[in-house]
Amino acid sequence: MTFSLNFALSDLLLLLPEIFLTCWLCVVLIVDFSFPRVPKERLAYLSVAGLVVTLGCLAWFDMNHVSGTLFGNMFVLDRMAIFFKIVILGATILVILASIEYVNRFTLFRGEYYCLVVMSALGMMFMVSANDLLSVFVSLEFATLGFYVLVSYLRDDLASNEGGLKFFILGVLAAGLLAYGISLVYGETGKLVFSDMASAQPTPGLIIGFLLIFAALGFKVGAVPFHSWIPDTYHGAPTPVTTFLSIAPKAAAFAILLRIFLVALGTFKPLWVVLLVAVSILSMTYANIVAIAQRNIKRLLAYSGIAQVGNVFIGLAAGTKMGNDAILFYLLAYLFANIGAFAVVIAVSQAIGTDEIEDYRGLGRRSPFLAFAMLLFLLSLAGVPPLAGFIGKLYIFVAAIKEGLYTLIVVGLINIVISMYYYLIVVKQMYINEPIDPSPIAISGPMKTVIYVGLAGTLVIGIYPQPFTDWVVSATLMFANFIGPSVTVVLPVHSLGS
Amino acid sequence: MLEELTAGFPILSCILFLPVAGAVVLWLFDEEDMVRTSALTIALVELALSVFVLLRFVPESAAMQFTERVPWIPALGISYHLAVDGISVLFVGLTAFLTVLVVVYSWDTIRHQVKLYMMCLLALETTTMGVFVSLDLILFFVFWELMLIPSYFLIKLWGGGAERHYAALKFVLYTLLGSVFMLVGIALLDINYHQWALLHHTDQTYSFDLLDLLRVPIPVSQQLVIFWLMFLGFAFKAPVFPFHTWLPDALLEGPIGMAVVLAGLKLGTFGFIRFSIPLLPDASKSETVVMVVVGLGLCAILYGAWMALVQADFRRLLAYSSVSHLGFVVVGLFALNYQGLQGSLLTMINLGFSTAGLFFIAGFLYSRQQTTELSAFGGMAKQVPLLATFFLIIGLASIGLPGTNGFVGEFLILLGAFKAKWWFGAVAVLGVIFGAAYFLWYYERSMFGPLGAAVKGTMSDLQPREKIIAVSLSVMILWIGLYPSPFLRIMNGSIQALVDRVQQETKVSLQDNRTGRGY
Repeated sequence: MTFSLNFALSDLLLLLPEIFLTCWLCVVLIVDFSFPRVPKERLAYLSVAGLVVTLGCLAWFDMNHVSGTLFGNMFVLDRMAIFFKIVILGATILVILASIEYVNRFTLFRGEYYCLVVMSALGMMFMVSANDLLSVFVSLEFATLGFYVLVSYLRDDLASNEGGLKFFILGVLAAGLLAYGISLVYGETGKLVFSDMASAQPTPGLIIGFLLIFAALGFKVGAVPFHSWIPDTYHGAPTPVTTFLSIAPKAAAFAILLRIFLVALGTFKPLWVVLLVAVSILSMTYANIVAIAQRNIKRLLAYSGIAQVGNVFIGLAAGTKMGNDAILFYLLAYLFANIGAFAVVIAVSQAIGTDEIEDYRGLGRRSPFLAFAMLLFLLSLAGVPPLAGFIGKLYIFVAAIKEGLYTLIVVGLINIVISMYYYLIVVKQMYINEPIDPSPIAISGPMKTVIYVGLAGTLVIGIYPQPFTDWVVSATLMFANFIGPSVTVVLPVHSLGS
Repeated sequence: MLEELTAGFPILSCILFLPVAGAVVLWLFDEEDMVRTSALTIALVELALSVFVLLRFVPESAAMQFTERVPWIPALGISYHLAVDGISVLFVGLTAFLTVLVVVYSWDTIRHQVKLYMMCLLALETTTMGVFVSLDLILFFVFWELMLIPSYFLIKLWGGGAERHYAALKFVLYTLLGSVFMLVGIALLDINYHQWALLHHTDQTYSFDLLDLLRVPIPVSQQLVIFWLMFLGFAFKAPVFPFHTWLPDALLEGPIGMAVVLAGLKLGTFGFIRFSIPLLPDASKSETVVMVVVGLGLCAILYGAWMALVQADFRRLLAYSSVSHLGFVVVGLFALNYQGLQGSLLTMINLGFSTAGLFFIAGFLYSRQQTTELSAFGGMAKQVPLLATFFLIIGLASIGLPGTNGFVGEFLILLGAFKAKWWFGAVAVLGVIFGAAYFLWYYERSMFGPLGAAVKGTMSDLQPREKIIAVSLSVMILWIGLYPSPFLRIMNGSIQALVDRVQQETKVSLQDNRTGRGY
């Protein structure tokens, strides 16, 4: 196999956001080294400025329908990639803003922190554009590399080190699985680009290969049974990193999953639906039940995140254009609610120094704003109307019902009830119990911005979702002609009819 | 097709959002009296708007009136569609009326966190109104779910009982459990519409709109599935026996204001008459459904009355009597004839005056003795003659004495039940007898007889605010009891259309309702 890299310079325009961000990353790093006296806060704003420019560039791409492929189909820029890039950049900006105060806890390398965050974001931008298995592998490792460092950034904290080590070992294992899976798939088909694989026959080797790839991506999104690193890592990592980890890599990995399942494996739909249904049911049920017993808010949100991933898998199992729209929409809603919830966690832990749910008692008295924001974020995660999370869940359920996945829907709905229980535990601590220390909680300016953005997103998407549904519908237009072998839409109810 | 009348002015939106906007305004005030006055003002303006709608409502018509319709999420076919017809318009008035009374009642009985209480109460009013005026099923579901949040806080923060945390959580989780099943039912309706729309090449491929969904035929087997899914949602909320176990807890542990709303506004049974029966007529009239649902209704009548007979606590007694009354409503609904439906609808309204009224009475008793246990009362009629009188009037309405509103509704239900199957009526009549027994027995033991040991010598009679509540309830009770025709005239058109729809033959209905009248 020969690679021929013929491209015009103008093609490189497609890479403009990535190229710009790489340069900007270097600028930030150079500024950090050259002017050690510059307050690190400025570096944060510098990074945010670069990210905003990149975001603007992507928005311009989206409006002008810029698209194309590069490097022999390895890199693709379509509207779905742009959607995910915008989500990832948005998350990165918010995470950096939420970190500014927290970074003072680090004893060393405060400036490099921002560089690592932006570097991971860059890696994820490549992930969502990956169009063949090799670029999946490279970009995925690139993105994860930054996280290995970030998770164990609290050098003197045992939990952070433990979380980092767990994350590293399991991450490397996942990388091994991924590489092995890719080698099997390549050996069976001789193809690496997703769209070329569509005509492949399901040989045992191919199936095992794809299962390995699926397992590796399952680690990234944190679906049961590949979730074991999540609670400890989320718990130990610095909270802004946890925030980042809970959103951006999941979104990026879902972009890859969408491409693999719908482009490369579209013809095998009857085979993989069962797999996805199983993973979805396991993730939702296991995570929601275990979440009830959590005493630490970060662990609670970790498990709630696993359950949310289970919900996203419902959309993937539907395996239609509508299911994809629903996934994109859901991730958008999840982004705002989750970042907001974690921002509240950061603000609270900044003030009272712990993450125990017990210590949220009386937050409603101490800081009505934080408590109210947290209430809305949790309700959105639980899927209470008219917040964004509700529309997201509804979208996903409608897509799945259309494909006749009734068992999955019923399990999903029962899980909503279970999840409501543990979200209400937090609400109860905030509003019902009296505070031990009634002193009010101060919130820094950037943190307030993050929470306001989270609130605005959660409310606006919930109440006026039309622009967002239009956006996701147009972002997945490339799947419009996707015709998987249809699962027959017949209600399994004739036995009940009399 | 159902004709729709628009008002030219979005009055329903005003009614819908005035309370929640008012709740936000309340946030600005700090002084408690200011909060109370403004809450009352908002509730009164809301009542005035609702009365205006009732007056401008065209009676004897099946049309949807005051329609407002804007697309909300076109990708999923969800629209913001509000309207009232003969079925829902009375509930709008009732909700506004009860909220005013609850605000008046809470004036001096709620002492801590007054602002938050009033905000929750007004938010609850918005969500309740939303349930009654929404014609889009998702919009309806949004309000249906949202109602849980203010209710949760109301029960939990201002409840009097020690078990209020448990009661609040139980209420939320039970209702949520039911409503997720309902959501599946709603989604199935949408998918059914989608398949039909694809076949007929209509512009809109998804719709959750009640009026769109009514136009589309649904296979009977599918109707049955959807019916049971929606049944669970409504039955948990209503609550229909045997899904009622949260009700006594919530009513006993929660504040009186919450109990009035929960017991006075029959949202669950409203769901049956608004959505289940018109959307799923073939399922509703199928033998199995009628037998099971009416069977549950009859069980509820007897079980509720029997349990009420042995309760020593007045609020628990009322909770079980609510279960019993809901049994009547369900039996009337699924008799599926004109009298039954009309009687059920009227009874739902009546219970808003009588059961809610008895909860106010329970509140009056509670504020005098700090309990509603029977042992704290006895021979009180001499000390508090006015309280005892109104207690009797409202109580007699609740057991359906001729001359009160309860009689009209119950009589129509029994008539409908006898018409459907004689033994439905025969069993239901037993409930009437039990009902008289439990109320009169409790009344006699608490108000007459020897003076109870715990009764204080100087118990004050009704205060001015309490008089306002008692008098306005009694006026409504006697008005509907003696001259029900204005109320019946409002419902008639919609009820007739509903009966026509249910009694149509399945096959014919598919073509007919494009041109025919009513649904």
